[in-house]
Amino acid sequence: MDSSRTSMSPELSVADRLHDEIAKLRARVESLKNDVKLQTATLMTANSTRELLQSQAPSNQPSTTSAAVKQKLLARFQEQSAHKQQCLYRACATITTFKVKDPDPNAVDGGNVLGLRFEIMVKGKFIRPYYVMLNRPYVNRRHLRVHRHTVPQCIPLSGLTARYLPVPAAKDDDIPKEQDLSRFARALRRELVRYHNRAAVIGDMKKAAGLGSKKALDQEPDTEIVDISAADAEAKQISLQWRDGRSGRLVMNDDGEVVKMVVQGNNGQDRDTVRQVLGGAVRVEEVTKRLESR
Amino acid sequence: MAPPLSLPTTARLPSSLRVNSSNPSIIKVLNRLSRPSLLSLVLDWLEPSNQSLCPPFIRENLSDDEDEDEFDNDLYPPVSTLAELRELYVDMQTRKGSRREVVDRILEGDWREGLTLYQLAMADLQYLYDHPGTLKWACYKIQRLKTPGHEDDVEADRNYDTVDRLAMHVPRFHPSTFLQNLQAEVLPDVKAHYNFDRPKGLPLLLLRIFVLDSPYNTDLAVSAASGSTSSVARTVTSFDASRTIYVAFPDASPHIFVSKSQSAGPTTHAETRSLRALVVEGIPKALSRPRERYSLKTTDLQTKNLDAMLSLRGSGRSNAAAGGWSVYAGDKAADARTHSPLNSLLPTPPLSDDAAGEDDEETASFRNGEPNNLKRNFDSEVAEDEKRRKRARLSAQARFGDNAKMDDGKGIERVDILIEDPFPVTGIDFETDNDGQDVGELNASRPRKPKGRRSNMDSSLLEDAEGDEDEDSELHRQDHDRDRDTSDNLPRAIGRRAREGDRDREKWAWRPNVRLSLHGPHVFAGIRQLVEAGFIDGERMPGWMTGEDGVTRGAVKNGRIKGFKGSGL
Repeated sequence: MDSSRTSMSPELSVADRLHDEIAKLRARVESLKNDVKLQTATLMTANSTRELLQSQAPSNQPSTTSAAVKQKLLARFQEQSAHKQQCLYRACATITTFKVKDPDPNAVDGGNVLGLRFEIMVKGKFIRPYYVMLNRPYVNRRHLRVHRHTVPQCIPLSGLTARYLPVPAAKDDDIPKEQDLSRFARALRRELVRYHNRAAVIGDMKKAAGLGSKKALDQEPDTEIVDISAADAEAKQISLQWRDGRSGRLVMNDDGEVVKMVVQGNNGQDRDTVRQVLGGAVRVEEVTKRLESR
Repeated sequence: MAPPLSLPTTARLPSSLRVNSSNPSIIKVLNRLSRPSLLSLVLDWLEPSNQSLCPPFIRENLSDDEDEDEFDNDLYPPVSTLAELRELYVDMQTRKGSRREVVDRILEGDWREGLTLYQLAMADLQYLYDHPGTLKWACYKIQRLKTPGHEDDVEADRNYDTVDRLAMHVPRFHPSTFLQNLQAEVLPDVKAHYNFDRPKGLPLLLLRIFVLDSPYNTDLAVSAASGSTSSVARTVTSFDASRTIYVAFPDASPHIFVSKSQSAGPTTHAETRSLRALVVEGIPKALSRPRERYSLKTTDLQTKNLDAMLSLRGSGRSNAAAGGWSVYAGDKAADARTHSPLNSLLPTPPLSDDAAGEDDEETASFRNGEPNNLKRNFDSEVAEDEKRRKRARLSAQARFGDNAKMDDGKGIERVDILIEDPFPVTGIDFETDNDGQDVGELNASRPRKPKGRRSNMDSSLLEDAEGDEDEDSELHRQDHDRDRDTSDNLPRAIGRRAREGDRDREKWAWRPNVRLSLHGPHVFAGIRQLVEAGFIDGERMPGWMTGEDGVTRGAVKNGRIKGFKGSGL
C-alpha cells in the first residue's frame, strides 16, 4: 500500500488538490447558505415585504403565487418580525424574560421555570447573555427561588437573592418577606455591568501602560510598569508591578472610584509613586489617563 | 550545615531544609516518578533561579590536587559548574536508560548532602500532575459570617456564628497572608512546610502542606541520625505520604478543595483525619480578618477529578447550570454570536425540527444507500429501531446537553444517593391514598403519576443492574438495599414487599432504606450512554441522574435531591 502510494504520488497530489477544492467549495456553500439566510431574514423583516404580502391578499394572482405559499410566507414573516421585536427588546431593555420547561419529571410546579436574560456589552459587543432561572418550589405560595443560573461566582448572587428574593418562612424578623423580582433583576444587572466595567477599566489601564497587546508580550516590554492585573475575583483590586521591583495595589469601590493605593518599594512604602500615579484622581479612569499621558 | 542550636519555635519549616538522602521516604518519592518526569524535574532544580532552594553538590573551584583525589573513586564525580550538570542531565534525556540510574545519580551524586523540602515538594507535585486521579478532593464553600454589631451581641450569643446571607462580598484570597495566618493556627509541636504551585492548564492555586511532628524547624526535625532508635522510627513514619495535605484555591470562586487522605495505611488513618481536621479548621481562621469572618461549609461534592470540580465549583458559568441546562452556559465566541440580540437570523434551538431535520435527511440517505435485497418487514423494523434510537439520542441530548460525554475529562467516579421517597406501590387504591398524603409536600396542581413512573424507573434500574456485567462494564451499580439483594429471586422479594406493605397499611408509605451508589470512570456519562442505548427512559429519568445538582452525595425526596443543591446558593 505504502509503495503504491509513493509511486502514485502525482495522482495523489491531484486527489489532494481535489479534496482541498471540495473542502473549499463546501465552506463556500456553507457561507453562501448563511448569506441566503441572512438576506432572507433581512428581506422578511423589511416593510416593503410586509406591504407586498398583505396587498396581494385582495388582488388574486393565482398564476404566480399560490395561496399556500403565501400563507407560509406570512407565517414566516410573523415569526421573523416577532424575533426582530424580541431582539429589539433584548438589545434595548437588556433584561428580558422567557419561559422554560424543566426536563426533570419530578420538577416542582409542573416544571414551569421563568428565565431572566441579562444582556451585557463588553468591548462594544454583546457577550453571551447571563441567565437566571427561577421556579416556585414552595407549596401554595408564589415565592420564587433561583433554580439554575449562569452568573459567575464573582457576582454576589446569594446576597442579592437573600435581599430581594427571601425565603418565605424566614425566622429572622428584620428580613423583608416580600419578594421583589424587578428590584432583584435590576440589582443583579447592575452588579454584572459594574463587574464587567471594572474588568474593562483594568484592561484599559494595561493598554495605557503599554502592556495590552500580545505583540508587546513577545518582545521584552520597555515600559516602566511590567504588569497590571486584577488581584481578586471581583476585579476591585489592581496589582501593579514596576520594573525596579516596586509593587503596588490599587483598590477601587464598586463603581470604579479609587479607594486607596499603596506602593511597596525596596525600602518600605513608596508614597512618591502613589502620588505620581494617583495625582488626586477620584476615578480609576483618571489614573488610566495619567498613565497614558506619560 | 546544622545551626549549633535547635530551639523549639512556632515558625514554619524552611524550604531549604535538607533531608538526608538515605531517608527511605525520599527514595520512595523519587522512585514513584517516571524517568522523563524525573529528568525534567531535575532540570527544574538546576534552574539558576532555584539555586538557593535546591543547590546540587558542585566541586569547589579551588583547583587543589587533594580534592581530585578525594572524588577519584567516586561513582558520580561532582562536576564543577551548573551548566555542566545541566548538560549532563539533558544528555540523559536524549539517551535511553533506567529510572534507577537517574535516582542513584541524584541521591548518591549531585544531591548527596540531601534533598531540600522544596525539592521533595516538587517531586510530590510532579507525581500528582503525572497521576491526576490519585487524590480525592472534597469541596468546601467559603461563607461569610455575620459581624456582630455590638459587643453585647457577642455576649448574648445572638448574631454570633451565623452566616451572613446578605453579604455582598466575594471572599478574597491572598496567598502569603493566608500562610502567615495558617501558621499561627498550627499547633507549636507540629511543624509544617508549605509550597504553593500553579498547575498548568488548571485555573487554581495549589498549596501543599507537609506536616512533621517536631517542635524544631531545623535539621533536628528531619534528621534520623541525631537521636536514639526511637526517633529514627518516628522519622520514618513521619515522612509518610499521609502527612501531606493539598489545598486547592480555584481562581475567582469562593470555594476550597481539600485533598482527602492519599493511600493511607490503616494505622495512620485516624492520624491523617485529625490532621486534616486541623487544617480544615485552620483555613477559615486564616482567611478571616478582623471584622470579616469566614467559615467553611461542606458541599457534598467529592471527586478525584479536578476538572469536574472546577466545572461545578469554578469561576465559569457552568456551576449552577449543569446537565441539560448547560445549553445556557456556553460562552464561546460562536455562542455569543448566535445568542447576540443583534443576530437577525431566526434561532434554531438544539432540539427543534430544523436541527433534527438534517439528521433525518442523513438517515434517509443512509437507508437509501443500503442494499435493497432486505425483506420489507425487516426494513421497517430497522426503520423503527432507527427511529427509537434517534429518539433516545435526542432525549439524552435534552437531558444532558453537551455535558456528560465520555471524553470530556470531567468524570466523577462515584455518586451516592439515599432515596427517602416512599416505595412505589402499584395498587390503584394505594396510589390515590398516597397522592392524598403527598399533597402537603407536592404541588397539588401537578398532573403526574409518580408511583407508576417510579416503579418503571426502578425496574429498569434493576434490569440494568442485572445486565450490567456483560452490557456496560464501566458503570457498576451496587445496591445496598436488603430487598434488592434478593432481586435474583424476584417472587420472594415481591411477596415480602407485599407483606411489608400490609403491615404499613396505616401509613401508606413504606420507606425502605435504599442507597444507590454508582461507580465508574465517568458516572454521568455512563447514565447518558444508557439513555442513548434506550435502557433508561430519558424523559422519565429523575433530574439527579443527570448530575445537574452538582453533588456526589445526596438524599432524594420527591424525586429531587434535597436542599436545592442545583442552584449553587
